[in-house]
Amino acid sequence: MPLTAQDLTESPRPRGKGRPRTVETAAPSLVELLNLVRTGAANTRQELERQSEFGRAVVADRLTMLGDLGLVDESELGTATGGRAPRLVRFAARRAAILVATLDQTAIGVGVADLSGKLLTEHHEAADLTAPPAELAERLTALFRWSMERHAPQGSIWGISLSVPGAVQGATEGDFLTATPPVLPAWEGFPLVETLTRDFGVPVWMRSSVETMTMGELHAGAGIGTRSMLFLKVGRRIGAGIVCDGQLYRGAHGAAGLIGSLPVTSGGRSGPLDAVAGSDMIQREGLATAQDGRSPMLADIQRRGGEITAIEVSQAAQTGDPASVAILTESGHLIGQVVATLANALNPELIVLSGSIVQTNDIILAALREAVYGASHPFVTRDLRIIRSQMGSSAGLVGAARVASEQLFAPAFLKEWVMQGSPLAHPAFAALQDRLSQTAPPPPPPRARTGQELPR
Amino acid sequence: MTISGLGPHGERAAPPERVSLLPDDRTAAKAAGWRVAVVLHTLESDWAKQQLAGMMGIFGDCGAAVIDVVDCAFSPDMQVAELDRLISQRPDAIISLPVANEQVAAAHRRVSEAGIKLVLLDNAPTGLLPGKDYTALVSSDNFGLGKIAAAGLSPRIPDGAKVGVLGFAADFFATNEREIAFTKWLQVNRPDITPRIHRFARIEDSASAADDLLSANPDLAGLFVVWDTPALAAATRLAERGATMSMATVDLGEAAAIALATGNSFCCIAAQQPFLQGITAAQTVILCLLGRPVPAWIALPGIGVTRDNVVESFQTIWRQPAPREVLRVLGLSRGK
Repeated sequence: MPLTAQDLTESPRPRGKGRPRTVETAAPSLVELLNLVRTGAANTRQELERQSEFGRAVVADRLTMLGDLGLVDESELGTATGGRAPRLVRFAARRAAILVATLDQTAIGVGVADLSGKLLTEHHEAADLTAPPAELAERLTALFRWSMERHAPQGSIWGISLSVPGAVQGATEGDFLTATPPVLPAWEGFPLVETLTRDFGVPVWMRSSVETMTMGELHAGAGIGTRSMLFLKVGRRIGAGIVCDGQLYRGAHGAAGLIGSLPVTSGGRSGPLDAVAGSDMIQREGLATAQDGRSPMLADIQRRGGEITAIEVSQAAQTGDPASVAILTESGHLIGQVVATLANALNPELIVLSGSIVQTNDIILAALREAVYGASHPFVTRDLRIIRSQMGSSAGLVGAARVASEQLFAPAFLKEWVMQGSPLAHPAFAALQDRLSQTAPPPPPPRARTGQELPR
Repeated sequence: MTISGLGPHGERAAPPERVSLLPDDRTAAKAAGWRVAVVLHTLESDWAKQQLAGMMGIFGDCGAAVIDVVDCAFSPDMQVAELDRLISQRPDAIISLPVANEQVAAAHRRVSEAGIKLVLLDNAPTGLLPGKDYTALVSSDNFGLGKIAAAGLSPRIPDGAKVGVLGFAADFFATNEREIAFTKWLQVNRPDITPRIHRFARIEDSASAADDLLSANPDLAGLFVVWDTPALAAATRLAERGATMSMATVDLGEAAAIALATGNSFCCIAAQQPFLQGITAAQTVILCLLGRPVPAWIALPGIGVTRDNVVESFQTIWRQPAPREVLRVLGLSRGK
């Protein structure tokens, strides 16, 4: 049963003059002990005493408080090493849940994660990010509600974390969002963050998809245990996530790794990497080869009324269509040139490629490897592994969950809510909710008439 | 036919043609003499029987011995025990349909860790990754099946009515996708309809779940059930209560085909292609054992079946003549 602030602040014994109240002194030690347990640095009382340098009585008292708040669990016994088996102290990761979502150019993914960032369920479906934002927000809300119904009852959600296609301005470390940052032109003026905060009553975090996918790959994919890693997302935009010393490097404004803007030259034409090697180029060139007869396979798709996107070109390349292979090889070489520069500067142990174009064929990976190996110092490539991500869009969901989990339990943030047992009692969040309750929600999206598709 | 859903990790679908076998592949497979095991949720349903029939033909052609076919009776505990037993028998590959999510994830991971190739059917437990914890997932386009069912049921539902959705309580990729797609189709195309969702944990509970749904919503105008066996049980119960209504479901089992032909309640069935799915799964196993790369998610499109095309659809899907009862009801078989 969680304690109320009243329980913790009111002691039956009279306090001496000037003696600090428990609420004032306990929070820092609670934060430190909880994070030692949460990160797995300590899982017995003895280890907690040793690592925190708090006395036995303080550790016992704080663990009782954390247990009452539902944040730790001491019901399991560990392995005895001579005497009595020690009682294990576990982080109660299922105390609450985090709703996560990835909003991509062509797909939307939602999931529910526990407080350690472990994904409990996920669902992905096609979506058009250029659709009216109110429609997108309504779909996102419907999918969140569905996920909660199955995995997380109302009242047990502590945060929402979103992965979005571009760099998020204003998303500084530790802060939940109080207003919707400018991410995509199509979303201009739509209060997505405010709508979600109002509807679900929880703080919202937002990061770029490259950042969340890098975090996901680092903590649950090929990057587990890696200290230095480069993560590349290839789509309409091409971005890099940089991991140094086991940490995501975000740069001064969270804009590190925007390699898609770097100029490259291909066939006598110069332009930013996004335009010359991204999925728009692959689609455009694919259409051209279908129309001028260089690709019978793509022409056949078109003849049957199918649409040619970068995915169709990728699939055609994988089945051996020479014109499609040439398009993807060119893209892989160009991306590889830029990645080689980064690899020489950062000397990563692992480079991971992701994005639906990369996942549907082996050609880009092979061409990128060729370019990186050809343009790097031998020391850089001696033990370098260049692989394709196996996580797909799950990486973004897992990474988004890690973002929220790390922010919820960041010492400065945690200190403000730990005594109340829920981040929803954080003073800054309570103030945001007050402010939002005084503003009107945005109107619902237009509805289709019975039996008719909404025009897209 | 296009695939409208995405894979369990947001993957784009690869068509079954991507895992076609060439004569050289069959020859190499025969020379290898592999041992394969199959673990299904049940062996009772028509879907499971056809799935197995599709697999057996391919494994036979490729000289692979099927050393065990396990019926898990929808039980996660039984599946965990059976997978551990099979690991000790060291087959080269296992085809498994995970009957739950978190409860069976670790056991499936142990299969891959033991060096046994694992091809999943219909469900990928959260946290398991293709290429690392399993080789590939073969499933129907379950999202597409949900949309087909909604589009088929919609014309029978009056403006502003309520439609019941009987979902599966287990956290299962295939049935989750069908339920989400069904309600999404209504939200986009028939926002006047109010869906009322209720879920059953076991097939035996589906009739009582239909009871509960109807008691809570006596004015239901239609019902979608996420697969045919519970749908038939629900239809029977509703008929007993005198509450006939338009219904849609997934899977064209023999009894469902008869019910559709009779036209009393079922107006649309979104059909999977289990025979073809069995062939695809077996081909995926052979290719991955040969060391060839296979896609992370191979999806088969669904087929929309109504009373008008039930005979030919049944033949396409099951590679068998339609049930005599269907032919009789439709006036195509005039004998006694």
